[in-house]
Amino acid sequence: MRAFIKTLLAEIKKQHKNYFHSKIIYISLFLWPLLSFITTYYSFQTFDLMKSNVIYITQGNVIIYLLIGYMVMSFFRSLVQSAWNFSFERVSGTLELIYLSPTNRAAVLLGNAVASLFESIIVMLVFSVFMLILKKEEINANVIPCVVLFLIIMVMASLWGMFLNSIFLFSRDSGFLFTILEEPMEIFSGVKVPTELFPVWAKVLSVIFPLTYAIEGTRRVLLLGSSLYDIRNLIFISLIIISILISSIMIIINKVEKHTRMTGNLTLF
Amino acid sequence: MDLQILIGILKKNLLTQYRAYPMSFFVGNILTGLYTVLGAWFMYKLLFEGRLSSDFFELTKTNDYMGYVIVGSLTYLFVVRTCLNVSRSLITELREGTLEALMLAPFKRVEYFLGNMLVQTMTTTMEIVISLFIAIPFGLNLSNINLSGFIVSFFIALYAFFGVSMILGCIMLYTRDTYISQNTLFAFLFLVSGITFPTKYLPEWLNICANFIPITEGVILIRNTALLGMGIEDLLYSYMKVFVLSTIYIIVGFGVMKRCEEAALEKING
Repeated sequence: MRAFIKTLLAEIKKQHKNYFHSKIIYISLFLWPLLSFITTYYSFQTFDLMKSNVIYITQGNVIIYLLIGYMVMSFFRSLVQSAWNFSFERVSGTLELIYLSPTNRAAVLLGNAVASLFESIIVMLVFSVFMLILKKEEINANVIPCVVLFLIIMVMASLWGMFLNSIFLFSRDSGFLFTILEEPMEIFSGVKVPTELFPVWAKVLSVIFPLTYAIEGTRRVLLLGSSLYDIRNLIFISLIIISILISSIMIIINKVEKHTRMTGNLTLF
Repeated sequence: MDLQILIGILKKNLLTQYRAYPMSFFVGNILTGLYTVLGAWFMYKLLFEGRLSSDFFELTKTNDYMGYVIVGSLTYLFVVRTCLNVSRSLITELREGTLEALMLAPFKRVEYFLGNMLVQTMTTTMEIVISLFIAIPFGLNLSNINLSGFIVSFFIALYAFFGVSMILGCIMLYTRDTYISQNTLFAFLFLVSGITFPTKYLPEWLNICANFIPITEGVILIRNTALLGMGIEDLLYSYMKVFVLSTIYIIVGFGVMKRCEEAALEKING
């Protein structure tokens, strides 16, 4: 366990130094999501906000409704970017070095995911909390469900990042990740339009993104004041996702280990 | 106008495009357009079932929201592609190591960039035509199009895109960064140029900003001719405005570009 934590901390530190060597990082981490959020907010103004198909959207809380979507999405999206960065470890040859050292592979993957998760979302989180306080009359929430849900989302997001990272232990083609996970994730996990209104084909697509459940849960808790009992289905699904993610990560790490030992080669695809 | 240089650049770029860049680049761009349209369609059909706000018609003179968004996003696609190909041309030469050779050759800037622009207009037009077919099921209706007006608007808009891409090109060459500068500009243009909503919704100061970017008026021109069927005579004032604004951009762009080239050549090894 001590070795695990040591590796974890080392990877977090490495990741931090890698990312934050220049202030420009804040532009891509904060300015881009913010611009995209503002654009969406104004494009909602073209509609009659009082007559949407979701009962809880009103003129006043539409900004909170959208902000929740964007905030939760930024958790998951920062991990897509970090996984993309992780693929550079292969290019620069550090992946081989990590594999030669007696470190716990899972700790490296987790450290990488956790570091980028917390570092990338901190600015967005501060902004969101500030906005939520500004619009606090629109919020209808209880403390306990908020805290529990936040913890679940954090765990789910970290594992999601670990899972994406683990894919790159195998493959060096990282382009596909963006094709699948950038815009489709935004459209199909209900960032702008809740998934409950989707036609069946789109619902099927939305099921695969953990982000779908995270957004749905956060909206219910913050806007409708749902209790833990009300969102028990979502929590249950999240726990299933968490266990699926953990087992797939373990399977991938084992496979990679075996494959590398057999062939001395880190690339499968 | 030195045609030899223009044709040389044209040949070189078409060959590079054909040989060095895979189809995935092409597909990726069409997908981006498709996702924007799909997102708008979800909002329009599923969330609001076509209930537009009362001032949308007053501001845009149309109730065809999907047409509005589709034409807007396709025009935006054109802007992005122009910036990617024209602004990045010199910095790509820098990265590929051909900038020095290019500077030694007696090439003229105007023909060089025009050549780049021509190639990019050809390839992007192909992408747009494919995207148009994809957009038809989402409710694109071009039956009102005023063809002569549209053609004039199209060329005026291209002129505007060229102007903006020159300025971006200067920034890129000077900072030697493409990732941050281009993506920040794209996100900003998507917000202020009235691509998916009328610019009147923006706060006053952003609205004023938008007025000084020729793309805003360019998108309106394309929409007015393609969707509302306005003719050349209705839009003379707008044409003038876009033309003057873009000319200023181009003059400033070419002037500054010369300085940036010097800076880039100096730093070439450092």
